[in-house]
Amino acid sequence: MSDAQTTDRWIRWLNTLQLVVAGIIILTPTAWMVMSSFKPSFEVTAYPPTVIFSPTIQNYIELTKTTPFFNYAINSLIVTVGSTSLGLLFGIPAAFAVSWTRISWPAILTLAARMAPGTLFLLPWYVMFRQVDLIGSYTALILSHAVITLPIVIWVLLPSFDSIPRSVFEAAQVDGCSVTRILWRIAIPLVGSGIAVSAILAFVFSWNYFLFALVLSNGDTKTLIAAAFNFVGEGSTQWGALMAAATLIALPPLLLATLVQRWLVAGLTLGAVKG
Amino acid sequence: MTAKTLMAHVAIPILAAATLSQAHGADFNWKKFQGKTITFLANSNPISQALLTQKADFEKLTGMTLKVDTYQEQQMRQRLVTVMNAHSDEVDVFMTLPSREGEQFAAAGWYADLTPMTKNVAGNYDFAGLSQALLKAGTFNGKLTSMPMNIEGPILYYRTDILKKCGVEVPKTIKDVQAAAKKLKACDSSITPFVSRGLKPAVAYTFSNMLHNIGGSYMANGKSNLCSPKGKEALETYSGLLRDYGPPGVVNYSFPQISALYRSGRSALSFESSNELRTVMDGGARLKDTGLAPFPAGEAGQVPTAIGWGLTISAHSKQQEAAWYFVQWATSPEIQKRMALQGIAPPRPAVAKDPEYRKWIDEAPVRKEWQAALDVLATKGSSEVGYPIVANPQSREFIGQAVQDLILKQKTVDQACADADKALDALIAQK
Amino acid sequence: MSQATATLTQDRQRLELSALSAPAVIFTVGMIAFPVVYTVWLGFQSFSSTGKQSFVGLANYSKLLTDYEFWHGLWVTIALYVLSLVLQLVLGVWLALVLFHAKRLHGLVRSLFISPFMMPPVVAGMMWLVILDPSLGAANYILQSIGLPPSDWLASPTLVIPTIALVDTWQWTPYVALIVLGGLQSLPPSVYEAAQIDGASPLKTFQRITLPLLLPTIVTAAILRSVDLLRFFDIIYITTQGGPGNASNTLNIYGFRVGFEFFNIGYASALMLTLTAIVFGAVLAFNRLRGAVAW
Repeated sequence: MSDAQTTDRWIRWLNTLQLVVAGIIILTPTAWMVMSSFKPSFEVTAYPPTVIFSPTIQNYIELTKTTPFFNYAINSLIVTVGSTSLGLLFGIPAAFAVSWTRISWPAILTLAARMAPGTLFLLPWYVMFRQVDLIGSYTALILSHAVITLPIVIWVLLPSFDSIPRSVFEAAQVDGCSVTRILWRIAIPLVGSGIAVSAILAFVFSWNYFLFALVLSNGDTKTLIAAAFNFVGEGSTQWGALMAAATLIALPPLLLATLVQRWLVAGLTLGAVKG
Repeated sequence: MTAKTLMAHVAIPILAAATLSQAHGADFNWKKFQGKTITFLANSNPISQALLTQKADFEKLTGMTLKVDTYQEQQMRQRLVTVMNAHSDEVDVFMTLPSREGEQFAAAGWYADLTPMTKNVAGNYDFAGLSQALLKAGTFNGKLTSMPMNIEGPILYYRTDILKKCGVEVPKTIKDVQAAAKKLKACDSSITPFVSRGLKPAVAYTFSNMLHNIGGSYMANGKSNLCSPKGKEALETYSGLLRDYGPPGVVNYSFPQISALYRSGRSALSFESSNELRTVMDGGARLKDTGLAPFPAGEAGQVPTAIGWGLTISAHSKQQEAAWYFVQWATSPEIQKRMALQGIAPPRPAVAKDPEYRKWIDEAPVRKEWQAALDVLATKGSSEVGYPIVANPQSREFIGQAVQDLILKQKTVDQACADADKALDALIAQK
Repeated sequence: MSQATATLTQDRQRLELSALSAPAVIFTVGMIAFPVVYTVWLGFQSFSSTGKQSFVGLANYSKLLTDYEFWHGLWVTIALYVLSLVLQLVLGVWLALVLFHAKRLHGLVRSLFISPFMMPPVVAGMMWLVILDPSLGAANYILQSIGLPPSDWLASPTLVIPTIALVDTWQWTPYVALIVLGGLQSLPPSVYEAAQIDGASPLKTFQRITLPLLLPTIVTAAILRSVDLLRFFDIIYITTQGGPGNASNTLNIYGFRVGFEFFNIGYASALMLTLTAIVFGAVLAFNRLRGAVAW
């Protein structure tokens, strides 16, 4: 066996070991959450922590009984998909333009909304959307959440666009392509993994954000995450239902992440062009 | 047969439509605002949950629609602050804690004046039957701002079996509590002898009871009074119990941890809200070995903390009269009895004596002791939690800070009380 | 091509590029212009105590300068920020590399590796509150069962910041990793091949090639984490509410409490605008760095 092969084997073994360590640290709390969602409420805080218990789906039943969980889920889905789409629609061209011109103020401007504490927007937005009678509408929620998704899309895509060699664009320009055409035909297909990552992140952030919905939604348009808080309170802390709600809330982003893995792992298009 | 005795025989949830208006007073035109919609901003707690199980009754009785928006306490406050600062009429009725935010909301003009509205009630509303202390707690500058929904306060949960095992009598005085904690610690090291609130903003709730029992007061001659001998004694006793006999990490403890610790059988004495009974009894492990009592007496006897959630009408609501119909219905003897049967301590002594409610109480010994403790709260209680000033919520910070400084041994009692008094004097002087 | 047509094409190009970023710019301005103006106005008002509003000029800002809680909050914010950011960037890059090389990992498993930041922050906070409780939690139980001394975690004034940083690192390292992973995927494979031919060791390849090429992505991750970390809120609010004492009272927690718990909207606005300015400064600094490391 050659030295190189031994090193290779070593590296592979080391990598697996690291993967396992990372996996345990990352997944134990998550597993604890999922497990707790199948425990009777009082057992979640039992000491010593119970590992063996008789699982129950009572928490999930409780959840659907006490809250219009599915209505809230639909609301969340509408707001999240809407704001993520809007973020991508505005963000992809903007990121491309910033990367091309190297003039970064538009990117910083869009991030400005993320620099202020969320609470700063509550009162002004409430006043603003009330003027146009949009309190409680999906429109107000989607617009407010797009303020979160837009900078994520732009900033995650920036380095991806930056890494496309200028020569690729120059060649296209010589062929008489307009900037917009270059974006659509050449640049976007090259940053597939970046778009996938930005879409996941935008989705997660929008999905888990509750502050704006707190004042901009009403009983009918309330999002899922705002409802999760209702399981915590004096005389009414329901650990089991909270963990069940959390498990269900974490599922859609997880499924989305799994679906877009294809673009994440591939990155092949890029290699094909550049190679 | 009068409406009242009739009601005693009717099964609660299944109300025949005919008896509806009788139960709520037939002399009153409940349908006056038929077709209107009332928006109710509720705090998600057992009190609103119990009330809202009766929502259909209200809608049927009045022909109005009740739109409910429920949020957890801090979130509800966030939404309320936003809506009220925007002078929006979106919310008609909301829940409020007069003991906490009453002065502030009243000063800001967020409450509608309910005084004239209380004249416009159904014949059997029995305004005089509501706890006078709680009504007084909801009155600011002569204006009644909210109607009491329940009565609650911190009470002592204790383990009868552990006390017996360690030869400890049920404490009758604060000195007894200290002695019991000491004995329990020596007797069984696996048990936390005493637990109560240590989280900074939460401390005032339980500490106020201790201060009042000892005979101290938050203010004297317009100045903060924590450095008075009684004030220092209260600070030292409260923090000493938590420091020497409380669980590690008690400075982060509020109701979730306290109840979890007691429920899992790991603390002997637990000083926590009466509202937590249901949480504590969840799973059934504590049903047979728990005793309940108001916090033991100090030099000034027993001055338990007794507060309640109030139902109020927004000053910005454009349909205050219709909103009053909801408030009136929700705080009527009939509805408060139905809530009581779901474990919400009623703010009406008459309801607490109602035969049907007594029957429910007698089903379990714990319920009996619970109601007995609440009776003491109702008669002797004080609603003062933190400083009786506009900035009450902020005053609680400094009380909590002083207690934490002592638990963590970061300051001497003289330093801690002096620092708190200084900050609180500034707060009191604020206009 | 003549000079004139070249300029014409350039003008057209500039116009087209402006048009591409215009929707994002117009949208953002439309959404934040009013809130910013409104908050600046609120910052000149006093709402304290009586609830009546009055114009007080810069009084809220001068109060800020002498407010011990503000300076303390600034210190807590910065300590927590530096500690968390460093941990998350280092571990995030490491995790990204590990995941990048684990090509055979199934999509779902890979998603599970990045799952912590998908957990709603309120739930993550509640969960860690239970796990880290010195008396009730699994953390001390595990420590004690392997013979280690228990810790006070979030209840200790000295340990609370590192503990919160650890919790935040657990939740957000995968987020950094995901961003870096996206960057790794778009690196041209040719550079690796070149390195392999040169016979460079894996460590050297990382140091000399991968890391420099990844820097723009890492800076992006740093910027995105900075805007959140400097406004640190959720986990603290749920676990310690700024305590014990004021040991974890970050500026954002303090501003929130002043505004929504103590109802002093005027002073809260001044606090929040100051915090915004601090975050803005950090972003500008990182953006400079981004310009410097672009390739």
